[in-house]
Amino acid sequence: MEIIRVVNCIKDYHLDGQIVHALRGVDLSLKKGEFAAIAGPSGSGKTTLLNCIGGLDYPTKGAIYIEGTDISKLSPRELSRLRLFKIGFIFQAYNLIPVLTALENVEYILLLQGMGDSYRKQKATEVLELVGLQNEIHRLPHELSGGQQQRVAIARAIVSNPAIVLADEPTANVDQKTGSTLLDLMEHLNKEKQITFLFSTHDPMVMKRAHRLIHITDGAIVQDAKVKRRLR
Amino acid sequence: MYKIGHIKIILLIGWRNVFRNKRRSLIVASSIVVGIVVMMFSMAIMNGFNRQMLENTINTSLGHVAIHKKGFFADMNVALSFVPVDSLTIQSIRGVACTASRVKFEAMIQSSRSSQGVLVMGIEPEKEKCVSNIYDYVGKDKRVYITNSLGNDILISRSLASKLGIGIGDKCVIMLQDSRGVLAAHAFIVKGLYQSPIESFDKYVVYMGIHKAQEITGLRNAISEIIVRCTDKEFASSVAAAIASLNVGNLEVLTWKQMAPNIVQAIKLFDTMMYVFLAIIFISIIFTIANTMIMAIMERYREIGIMKSIGTQPSWIAGIVMAEACGLGVLGVFAGIVITYLLVAITGTTGINFAFYSESMRVWGTGTTIYPFITATNGIMATVIVLLNTIIASLYPAYKAAKIKPIDALHFI
Repeated sequence: MEIIRVVNCIKDYHLDGQIVHALRGVDLSLKKGEFAAIAGPSGSGKTTLLNCIGGLDYPTKGAIYIEGTDISKLSPRELSRLRLFKIGFIFQAYNLIPVLTALENVEYILLLQGMGDSYRKQKATEVLELVGLQNEIHRLPHELSGGQQQRVAIARAIVSNPAIVLADEPTANVDQKTGSTLLDLMEHLNKEKQITFLFSTHDPMVMKRAHRLIHITDGAIVQDAKVKRRLR
Repeated sequence: MYKIGHIKIILLIGWRNVFRNKRRSLIVASSIVVGIVVMMFSMAIMNGFNRQMLENTINTSLGHVAIHKKGFFADMNVALSFVPVDSLTIQSIRGVACTASRVKFEAMIQSSRSSQGVLVMGIEPEKEKCVSNIYDYVGKDKRVYITNSLGNDILISRSLASKLGIGIGDKCVIMLQDSRGVLAAHAFIVKGLYQSPIESFDKYVVYMGIHKAQEITGLRNAISEIIVRCTDKEFASSVAAAIASLNVGNLEVLTWKQMAPNIVQAIKLFDTMMYVFLAIIFISIIFTIANTMIMAIMERYREIGIMKSIGTQPSWIAGIVMAEACGLGVLGVFAGIVITYLLVAITGTTGINFAFYSESMRVWGTGTTIYPFITATNGIMATVIVLLNTIIASLYPAYKAAKIKPIDALHFI
């Protein structure tokens, strides 16, 4: 089942009177349950592509479909609802609301969705247990390590069963060991819960662990290959 | 549609945000505290000033309600007198504490050194103690108060005595035109000296017994006015209406508000000036809060962007900013009110001595020591004004925060 379809996506920026072509006609399709990474050097357009897929930015031309809906035609308000119900986000840093505990951060998404109090608490606790933070649920973000904060972010991203989780360089701000553990967790969730993950990264470890690696250079996809999973 | 849970989380985030930058919040809350204390303490002093000005005017001469023959209050013509209605009937009216009759006429007081135009009040010595403070104004030695209402004793003020160059036990002459228009002069002995808080009153008023006043004016058993003291000055209007309904004929019944419109106007003027002063204070508070909230938003630009990225509606972001501003306002108001009530509790007992400003204070009739007091309405008003101010101050920052585009914020470091 196709979750994402990007059709001839072009994104131009105006910078100091110059037009910068961030995406030059990208075509991409992602199926449910994929564990894919967009890789490329800095400035290649991977984050721009992720932002367009995530409904954070509009493409200059082309279309982006999430579960069949062309999101490039949605209003900002509709995009906000789409992000809330269909997409989970993991950012590289400053991910969590600093004044809310781990549990409240995860609950927050369900609260935005209008879920009831008892369901929210139960579901958020379950997901935090799933990411191994059952003993840290009442801690504030600054009381958690970087890796634990990213686990909370993962829990928040998956708590509402979104169509896809978009992760922008999720391992960039943690050490290699923690990064590896986070990837283990996301891979486990992908396998067990069939959650679709799409990363943007230039971390070789993420590239190695991705089941599909999409190389992007100068705003165009130059390679899109399924990667055989290595035995670990 | 917002649910209780939504409002709870907005308030929770806003409230917790207050404590993220403790030093900055402390500075903002302190500025609110200073504003509240200045505002409420100024109100308290002004309340004390107004109350003392009013009470002194009422207690010195006016009473709460006065009954005169029509035209007497404007003209002070001794011939405009009346034979008193049954004061027991008036005393049975709800809200009336006591009554006293007076004879009032204009005269000239003369000593061997000087003379002065005065208003003579013939009083019922015992009853007068209830309707006015003259008994207290004679000082600690109460033996100098008028006891015999037919005697030749008079009370004059210390300032008048000084001007006339006389003292207790000295003789003076009062010249008047009696009710038939005949000029007469009578000798009196100064029995006591008084000092009221009102300078103009002291320069102008002389007391004697009512029967002596009736005798020298030829009024016999007629009087110039009945002064009514109510259990509370707010009952004056209802008491006046009740008296007026007793078929008083050609008598007029006036309340203190009608007799002292200048005082009422002065209080209104002072209140208006106070509101202008407060407006200036609170405009500065608005800018302090708005400035702080804008700084806070700039600090949290990326965080707000992430909140919007994950689906937070702009109205929630605005709500969180406003909740934070209100949190600061609530802290400031609470601390400000506590400090003000403590200050007022202390100064309300000890009083604030404005002796260095005594001449002006005596002109206003307040006395030199002001006893500040604060009402529950003042507290509620201050709370509402400050909270309203914080909401107004947070509107622009809230709008700015709500308008942050997630994509811009994510690029913001």
